[in-house]
Amino acid sequence: MAACLRRTGEVLGSLRVLRNIQQQNERFVSTSFPRHAASRGDGQPPKFTPPPKPVIVDKTQSEESLRRFLSPEFIPPRQRSNPVKFSMERKDMIKRRKAFNIPEFYVGSVLAVTMSDPYASGNSSRFVGICIQRSGSGLGATFILRNVIDHQGVEMCYELYNPRLQKIEVLKLEKRLDDNLMYLRDALPEYSTFNFDMKPIPHSLSGDVPVNQLKVRMKPKPWSKRWERPKFNIQGIRFDLCLTEEQMAHAQKWAEPWHQYDMLKEYDTSSLEEQILQEVQKGLAK
Amino acid sequence: MRLSFRALISHGRVARRMGLGPESRINMLRCILTGLVRHERIETTRARADEVRFYAEKLIDYAKKGDTDEKSMRMADFWLTEKDLIPKLFKVLAPRFENQSTGYTRMARIPNRKNLDRAQMAVLEYKGNPFPPLFPEKRVSEFSLINQLLKGYREEKAQVAATKTDSQTP
Repeated sequence: MAACLRRTGEVLGSLRVLRNIQQQNERFVSTSFPRHAASRGDGQPPKFTPPPKPVIVDKTQSEESLRRFLSPEFIPPRQRSNPVKFSMERKDMIKRRKAFNIPEFYVGSVLAVTMSDPYASGNSSRFVGICIQRSGSGLGATFILRNVIDHQGVEMCYELYNPRLQKIEVLKLEKRLDDNLMYLRDALPEYSTFNFDMKPIPHSLSGDVPVNQLKVRMKPKPWSKRWERPKFNIQGIRFDLCLTEEQMAHAQKWAEPWHQYDMLKEYDTSSLEEQILQEVQKGLAK
Repeated sequence: MRLSFRALISHGRVARRMGLGPESRINMLRCILTGLVRHERIETTRARADEVRFYAEKLIDYAKKGDTDEKSMRMADFWLTEKDLIPKLFKVLAPRFENQSTGYTRMARIPNRKNLDRAQMAVLEYKGNPFPPLFPEKRVSEFSLINQLLKGYREEKAQVAATKTDSQTP
């Protein structure tokens, strides 16, 4: 097209207006011009060469992680339920994950969840907070977000596979020293305060997830639970600031050092996890 | 209502409550398991033998991972109160069950205790021990009457089948 335009331009060279148009056109399609010019020398009609295949970068899908990660709700609990129940639920979960992007996140990550809410303005509400617990397995899996709003602690429990969920954003992907951060309820409010206008912090898609080594300071006792007891096994609290050494030693009275040697209590999920991960990856790729 | 042990298992209780609490239970089972590893055949009450059987099999599973594995070494160190048995576990028992994946032990009921409390008793042993077998070996003789009759019956049936095929083919 550019060549044709150039010829007409030569014929009507005296007309400045047309020349202007031609120049504009040439500039407009200048990218495809050299490809035609190569074959024009033989007098043959210009041969069409297809443009290179465009590399489509899907911004929504670039969030997908490269590390092998299985969401914990896929692992069935150790119980006597029929395994068919879990396999059927898994199928439904994979179906939902195809339609709705549930990102990889851990306890300690900062999330923003948008949920449809008929009573909110714009029919949706957004909540930002730190994930303090992931619980449940199968379709009923939940996670709890905590934030402090106007000096008032707020916790929201979301179901992962709730059809009312519109979007889950990971603002900050990290782990903490513990797998359950319920003790943030008894910690100073600064540790669970997050800005609603927080920008997502970019994280690497491969490699290990960074572990935040933060240790929190607690409010004075009484707490909602005796976090110093060995059964909680909490690493992320500065016990040296709130408890005396005598109190810490007293808490060891409830220690069960034989528990780790009781083979009856073991639940090794590594092979099961591998099997389910392959099933999920296959289902999502389909 | 007193439930049977099987009913308890179906209601989510996988372990018996014995001794003076969970710690006492584990310590008691440790002592019995140490005796089992030392003597390879022991006699205890039936409930204890049944409890210790699970741990005896799991300990072999750990021992099969080798003595370089940190966790299996810690397990052996905990469960064998007499430390001279640790080499025996890794060097004798683990190679013995190399080709097996389960069923390293055998349990047999024996008559109730006579003198003390008439408790139900049992014998627990690791398979492949040097003692005479717990159960008498099955004597299968070809010349017993029933085997001879069965043999005759089979031969007769084979003959009938052969004649049938001969009559059908031409």
